[in-house]
Amino acid sequence: MTRQRSERTWICLSLAALVAAALAPLVLAPFYVRVGQLVLYSAALGLAWAILGGFAGYWSFGQSAFIGIGAFVGGLAEAELATAPPALQFLVGLAAGSAACAVIAALLAYPVLRLRGIYFAIAMLGVAHVFAELNNNIDIFQGSLGLTFPNIGIAGLDPHVFYYELFLVAAAATLLAAWLIRRSRFGYGLLSIREDEDTARMLGVPTEHYKAAAFVVSAVIAGVLGLIYAHSLGYITTGSVYRDDTNLNAIVYSLLGGMGTLIGPIIGAAILVVLTHVVLGDFLDFHMFATGLLLVLLVLLAPSGLVGLARKLVGRKKVRR
Amino acid sequence: MHRRDVIRGLSAGLVAGGIAAPFVSRAAAQSGKTLVFGGSVPLSGAAAETGLNVNNGYITAVDYLNEHGGVEIGGEKYQLKLSLFDDASDPSRAVTLIQRQLDEGTQFFLGSFGSNIVLPTAAVVERAGKLMVQTGGGSDQIFTKGYKNIFGMYPRASRQTRSTPEFFKGLKPEPRSISVVLTNDAFSKTSAQGMVNDCKAAGFEVLGTYELPEKVTDVSSVLAAIRAKTPDILACVTHDQDSLLIARQMIATGTNVKLLLQELGPQLASYRESLGKYAEGICVHTYWEPDAPFKGKFFPTAAKFAEYYHSKFTRPITYHVAGAAACIVTYILAMQDAKSTEPAKVRDALAKADYETFYGRIKFTPDGDGDPLLMGPSMAQVQKGKLELVFPENARTAPTIYPVPPWDKKA
Amino acid sequence: MNLILQTLADGLVLGGIYALAAVGFSLIFGVMQVINLSHGVIVVIGAYLALILSRLLAVDPLLTIPLVMAALFVFGYAYQRWLVQLAVERSSLLASMLLTFGVALMLRNILVWIFSPDFKTISPPYAFVHFHLGELTFDLVRVSALATSLVLLCLLAAALHWTRFGRIVRATAQQNLAARLCGVDARHVYALTFGVSAAFAGASGIAIGMVLPFAPPDEAFWTLNAFVVVTLGGVGSPAGALVGGLLLGIVNTLTAQYVGPAFPNATMFLILVLMLLVRPSGLLGNAFSPSR
Repeated sequence: MTRQRSERTWICLSLAALVAAALAPLVLAPFYVRVGQLVLYSAALGLAWAILGGFAGYWSFGQSAFIGIGAFVGGLAEAELATAPPALQFLVGLAAGSAACAVIAALLAYPVLRLRGIYFAIAMLGVAHVFAELNNNIDIFQGSLGLTFPNIGIAGLDPHVFYYELFLVAAAATLLAAWLIRRSRFGYGLLSIREDEDTARMLGVPTEHYKAAAFVVSAVIAGVLGLIYAHSLGYITTGSVYRDDTNLNAIVYSLLGGMGTLIGPIIGAAILVVLTHVVLGDFLDFHMFATGLLLVLLVLLAPSGLVGLARKLVGRKKVRR
Repeated sequence: MHRRDVIRGLSAGLVAGGIAAPFVSRAAAQSGKTLVFGGSVPLSGAAAETGLNVNNGYITAVDYLNEHGGVEIGGEKYQLKLSLFDDASDPSRAVTLIQRQLDEGTQFFLGSFGSNIVLPTAAVVERAGKLMVQTGGGSDQIFTKGYKNIFGMYPRASRQTRSTPEFFKGLKPEPRSISVVLTNDAFSKTSAQGMVNDCKAAGFEVLGTYELPEKVTDVSSVLAAIRAKTPDILACVTHDQDSLLIARQMIATGTNVKLLLQELGPQLASYRESLGKYAEGICVHTYWEPDAPFKGKFFPTAAKFAEYYHSKFTRPITYHVAGAAACIVTYILAMQDAKSTEPAKVRDALAKADYETFYGRIKFTPDGDGDPLLMGPSMAQVQKGKLELVFPENARTAPTIYPVPPWDKKA
Repeated sequence: MNLILQTLADGLVLGGIYALAAVGFSLIFGVMQVINLSHGVIVVIGAYLALILSRLLAVDPLLTIPLVMAALFVFGYAYQRWLVQLAVERSSLLASMLLTFGVALMLRNILVWIFSPDFKTISPPYAFVHFHLGELTFDLVRVSALATSLVLLCLLAAALHWTRFGRIVRATAQQNLAARLCGVDARHVYALTFGVSAAFAGASGIAIGMVLPFAPPDEAFWTLNAFVVVTLGGVGSPAGALVGGLLLGIVNTLTAQYVGPAFPNATMFLILVLMLLVRPSGLLGNAFSPSR
């Protein structure tokens, strides 16, 4: 009863937040709209990562592989249709990019997900680098020369606002997907894998398929985000999308916010992006040190993330009462 | 400077109101007659060495002009101010922070380094109707998009080596064959393709092109292939660190060619120091040298510029320093021509620019890159540890050593 | 024929350096399952220390090895004892990896502050000398780097096998609980292992500094390299690192020669993935816990 009510409250709150976020560009300066884009992009990436990493406990270190595949396959497909209207190009690119991510992820899923813990993480790091290197060094993929993306914006609308709204749609869809997964049988299956994979399997949870499905969903979302991101930049090379810092950030968002929660990656992404781009944006040669320090402090002081910290504080209060 | 940044960083990070700080400081900077130049430089990451040189070049120009009472534009005196940030070679970081500067009213931008950064930032600046004069992006893509407000000090990559075959032709005995080693990135690749095509057109035989990945630890296999099929000339279109690795490994394996040309690397004093006597005879394209005969307004001569630079910095001077300073000088000259600091008017003046400066003559093509004849590179050769200009004839400070003696014969 | 022999020889020489650069990483991973993402930056610090010391004392860079190793041993011990161990206890192994990444970022930034972002080189007098063996060409500095690496790896292997310290390390890695019941102070052993590992990373930095120009951002490459070597050869033993390093070196030069000089990194990571799929514990397996 209370559970239902609290869920309803959450839904209402989320919808209100969504509407507020959609209208925000009306009052925000362009810089903050741009920061908003990055927050939404990062939050969606963090959520996509969390579907596998947060729910099932399989920490991928190679999420950038799918960002890159989505961006480059989508971009190459769009280049084939250079004469078509940009909106159509984008849709084709989206279809091609996400299809490529789905196929590649499905092919990779069964062998790679046999590995556990740190070995899975390392294997995904390797996968990301293999794709990055091939993308960069095989000429038809144009990774080294770079790929130009058509302007898909709507005439009269500031491109910053347009991409902000596009990222918002993507982030909202990702949140919805993650929420639906979380409360479904599939989601509980993933959680059981995180808690004890062997027992879960013994009790009849189809762990293999669940892991693979989560992997593919996570990859496709990353691919779609990668394509939108590439459009928002207008020109990318391999180094713009296959980035090790993205691999790492996807994890840090969850760690900072709260591992396995839905709100965690969103909070984490918002804090980290604002911190690195707004607060530390001015410093010529200090931001790397500051980011490093933040990571160290985070691991030592808030090992279960801000959500965990908040829960602990709230819990303590209740006990006192 | 470093310590100050740390302290500033700590205070801004610790104080909860850190977010508000930028508004306050920037607002103050904009008031009065101050010209603000914005933009990013890569001060961390692989391009940081050049990034630091570029940054020093900007500082040199701004300090010099301010110390000489600022500049007069349309009857008003202005002081100059730099507002740069580190983009860490991350395009989305660069775009975001450029946007912040646009919001705060910055009109004039200087460039970062690397086309994957310069291009997206150029797009934002162009869209906002502001200006960018940059020394860090030479890729053709930057200049073929129809941008009106983006200017580059260097000719686009595919045109940079246009005069190179002519230099090779002038060598006696005339070389016949060439091999090219290149880094697989947008700039090096376009540039190397340009060189290969030009050399082929001039009748040279291209024995091989070898693409290296962006991070190299060993070129032994490339060198083995070169020893098996030795060209007269080996050209390396690679970045500083890789160039040095190639040269060191060539020496250490006794891989000899009659002439080694490295597009980037030998312009750095640290490179020449590391190779010592073995650096003798290695060629490099350079856009400027302190003893070049250039004269202009503000910095009266190239030598005076170098002198002023050395009074402020201990880092050895390179052409990147001068190129960066030239960006600012060009901006000011264009503003004085336009008698205005309105971006549209300054833009028109830049498009018509034809200035004599300490950096040489400055004139842009209709696409915004440097005129390949006037602003193209000259060929320099390391002779007795110094760079001597050897081509074109009219700028030459020493005759070319050719063929260069094998490594183990270098005294 | 000559070309293939030369390629193989170049690969072995290169591989020796890779092996030494990875052995510390392997040891930490084997003993305490911690992935040390600051490994690469310690390698680079080793190179900078050697640069300063060899200039200051006017000695051959290889002679600075004991000093550099001692300094980094202390650093490694303290680092594990007061940072990494805390992270492992308060959070998880995976989170400790993030901590080491944070430390790597900070150290890299500090290196830039102290030494500027410029690349540096260490040039001993024999840096540019080469010799011929039959029709093969070897460059002396790389060969001496290889020799250094082999000697140090053998010393480490001997120490792990025959000294009391080695026995305790192995015991702690194999049966943590049992070792502690026998009175082993596991934290102290972990810190010692970390110290040894940092010391060897520093030593490899010296070899690398003699062979390659180096700069702070190179650290990422040396961390990744360690990953590949360890998955290839096996965890926790100098022999595993050696096998992995040599194989990686050969694969590198062969790919560069016969596929294209742009592709060694691609093959390197492809092998990493394939190896994990086929034999996750590496060719020689895990030196400490064969059953895992």
